[in-house]
Amino acid sequence: MSYLAKNLEGLHKRYPELTHATRESSGGLLTVVPSREGSPSATHGGRWVHSGYDPRKEAQAWAEDQSREWKAGELGVVFGVGLLYHVEALVARKPQEATLAVVVPSVAELKDAASTRLMEAWVTGIEWIWGTPQAMARQLTAEPSPLRFMTYEPAARLHADAHRELEAELRHILAAKQGGRLHIAVIGPIYGGSLPIARHTVTALESLGHRVSWLDQSLYQASYETFASYRNPRHRLTMQSRFADLLSLGVVTHLAEDPPDLILALAQAPLNLAVLQHLRKKKFLTAMWFVENYRHLTYWQQLAGGYDYWFVIQKTSCFEALKRAGARQVSYLPMAADPTLHRPLRLTAAEQDEYGADVSFVGSGYANRRALLPRWLSKDWSFKLWGNEWEGADTLMSVLQRGGARIDTETCIKVFNATSVNLNLHSCAGDGLDPEADFVNPRTFELAACGAFQLVDKRALLPDLFDTRELVRFASVVEVPSLIRTWLDDVPGRRAISEAARRRVLAQHTYEHRMKELLATIGLHQPDRIGAIMRGDRNAEALVQRVDASSELASLLRRFPSDQRVELQDVAARIKAKGAGHELAREELLILMLDSYRTETRDLV
Amino acid sequence: MGLFRPEAREEMRALVIQLARLGDLLQSLPAITQLRACHPEASLDLLCPSHLAEVGRLLPGIEKVLEWDGAAWQRRARVAQDDLREEHLLEVDTTLTALAPDRYDCAYILNQHPRALLAASILAQEAKGPLLHGPLSDVLTPWAAYIRDVAQGRMGRRVHLADAFCGLCGVCPPGYVVTIAPPAVRLPEDLEPIGNHGAPWIALIVGAGETERFVPTAIWRRWIASFLERWPQGRVVLVGTECERAAEIQAPLSPMALGRIWDTTGRTSLSQLAAILARCHHTIGSDTGPLHLAAALGKPVMGWYFARARVHETGPYGSHHIVWQAQGMKSETWPVDETLAAMREQGHHAPIGWSVWMSHCDRWGTYYSSANQSAIPPREREALWQELGPALT
Repeated sequence: MSYLAKNLEGLHKRYPELTHATRESSGGLLTVVPSREGSPSATHGGRWVHSGYDPRKEAQAWAEDQSREWKAGELGVVFGVGLLYHVEALVARKPQEATLAVVVPSVAELKDAASTRLMEAWVTGIEWIWGTPQAMARQLTAEPSPLRFMTYEPAARLHADAHRELEAELRHILAAKQGGRLHIAVIGPIYGGSLPIARHTVTALESLGHRVSWLDQSLYQASYETFASYRNPRHRLTMQSRFADLLSLGVVTHLAEDPPDLILALAQAPLNLAVLQHLRKKKFLTAMWFVENYRHLTYWQQLAGGYDYWFVIQKTSCFEALKRAGARQVSYLPMAADPTLHRPLRLTAAEQDEYGADVSFVGSGYANRRALLPRWLSKDWSFKLWGNEWEGADTLMSVLQRGGARIDTETCIKVFNATSVNLNLHSCAGDGLDPEADFVNPRTFELAACGAFQLVDKRALLPDLFDTRELVRFASVVEVPSLIRTWLDDVPGRRAISEAARRRVLAQHTYEHRMKELLATIGLHQPDRIGAIMRGDRNAEALVQRVDASSELASLLRRFPSDQRVELQDVAARIKAKGAGHELAREELLILMLDSYRTETRDLV
Repeated sequence: MGLFRPEAREEMRALVIQLARLGDLLQSLPAITQLRACHPEASLDLLCPSHLAEVGRLLPGIEKVLEWDGAAWQRRARVAQDDLREEHLLEVDTTLTALAPDRYDCAYILNQHPRALLAASILAQEAKGPLLHGPLSDVLTPWAAYIRDVAQGRMGRRVHLADAFCGLCGVCPPGYVVTIAPPAVRLPEDLEPIGNHGAPWIALIVGAGETERFVPTAIWRRWIASFLERWPQGRVVLVGTECERAAEIQAPLSPMALGRIWDTTGRTSLSQLAAILARCHHTIGSDTGPLHLAAALGKPVMGWYFARARVHETGPYGSHHIVWQAQGMKSETWPVDETLAAMREQGHHAPIGWSVWMSHCDRWGTYYSSANQSAIPPREREALWQELGPALT
């Protein structure tokens, strides 16, 4: 009997359909070649999938590394099939009461593996996950155990897209099922465009029921700007850099006093690499939502290895750049809107008069906007330009409002609501449309959330977020005037599109959606920490179920509301509240003893 | 105050708990001596940090040393903090049971840290020490309040910390100087000649537990150079854990000088350190654990007290130790020449901003008098003992 027949015989009982599909597959995805030590190895597209010298030894090293974090009771999920050496090695290191699943994006690859090596009894103990990404995600999330992902990169890269899709599906499912209350510290910038986004993030996390420590660095903006007055650039940079270091230390001090489950920094947050490394050493989880164009602001290169998780608004090239710079985990997280702020308004006649126009643009005077906006002025429509940094843009002075003063969010929203056609032109350094047009700016979501009609320049990542019935986009400079003309004349059409766009935002693109997605991503990779809290495993009810019902600990835990997250310090606080003179049980004393060391574990400063 | 309850069994067991640092452990010696003297029938064990256990075993009167592994507790706390489970409590319970299978009749707590109080409640049936009503209480006993005031830098009232520990345990100070015997340990071969040829041998403590108590390396270098110049047969032994500071001190010294310096920093266990200090004629340094170790070994000690160190409360315990006390937190001048002069028995002088003190011992314990005057026991000590522990008098 061939290896294939023997191997599939073992699988057939539990997985008849997978067995059938594998048997029917033509295989041949991998090129099987002998390794130096004699056992079969494999390549794909000229790259080794297993070691060309000793695939077993390599697999054992990989499995040893993976199994360090794998805990009892978790379902280990392997990405990457190859010839399954690594899976065999992992089975040998499986913790007690843990199970192992292997994702099979291609039955052809499984057939290659099953035809090449005789898999023994271990193969029958594996959960085989196959089908569409949606089907695989459903299979995995139906499992009661926490998921622990383990990627065997040389084989996983053959199906990177399928794995990404599966992860995205998992995130969506987990985001919808989130429960449990996290403590999240949000650290924003001293000033700049990511400051309002940091505030929206705080609001969203609070709305989701999490406890948020908002470490507002904008309080120090005036001091920071004082240093900008130094004439010598070296003095200025030195002082600003030292000041940022001091703020970094201030953040650490706050974290030491009230340790969070997760530290979420927004772009430009004053955390330097040394502080991030220190935080990692002290077992803090850190994430950065880099809401900037990575091609323009490049300080991420110094910080890439410092954060545990990066969330970015661009995809492939950005992912690769960050990973090359040392980032461990990079995920796509587009911008969003806050519908409590960005909303349709009923304006008074005076407001409509002040803020309204046929066509408006709100934003700063970047080079391409200075070059293009004059080309879109016309005697056929009124035009208002709002925002700052337009000095020297002579051809736009006649339409510039408030002398080019910076305008606040509420004014922006009034302008959006009062304008028939809002122009949304992503900035770039040249004099035309952005030649590397990938990410979608916050303005797109904000205008949509306001129910305002917009014309936006074409972006590579836009189709995933809005379809053409929700946003009108332009691919060239010359088509804008005719689009303006068309849509100014079509009031019902504008209304239909803008209402559809608002519905899409409310359904998928609020900051609450983004925060759920962010936490689901982290929870997926941290099943025993963030994941456990979000599953509700740290709530009083779940904790009580895990302890001996007659124990002192059970009686202590029962004093908390069943859905309240309970930690060591909460139980200790209840015991301390008994006050002096009470006889304490031995378990109570032990809890107080552990708690006395708890603060030292986060002794940061 | 009695050691045990009236219904005491024949063989009573008591535990002294001292979870602080080396200096505090050594300053617990008078209290341990007195507990042993007052209650010779009792067995007396000690609970101290694991890394100090070898010093604990040198303390006379202690039968068994229980090692408290703070790092392991930190690890357990981290795990329990991430995910509170019954097995975490079972694990610590098992660890404590292994440490002390039977609860002690009484624990004497010499720290005010919650973990010392909790350890006493877990390991013993009765706890005596800083709190009046158990580990959740915030009512201090009179002696605990005194020690807290000393620790918080309020004006001390000239009862030495080691004697206050006696008060905390309900015993009087011994009234004489208690010493420990040098341990019989092997030194690394290259350190074996220490103390054998030439004289005097001076142990110089290069570091301190807190950076604010660091004597600048340039000052130590100046002191060493002056000493070696004035004592052609003298030798200096650098002790402590701060190898880099020791290297910094030695780097600019001449090869001739280096031949008379023995750098032991970072190379010795605490027992070996004690053996080295016992072989030296004098020990010099700021207020540090090794300084108190030298004093406990009965060797003459010269201390430079500055920052928050205060001679009357934490000066080296015993008689005829000399301490230069800075008046402010930081000092611009240092008693380099004055220390050398004292060693040559050329009088006790102090540079500007410093005063110089010598230790004495009487029935109320150790006290310090101005080194240039005859010993005058401070009268407030007796009053304090009567106020805080009248039953003892």
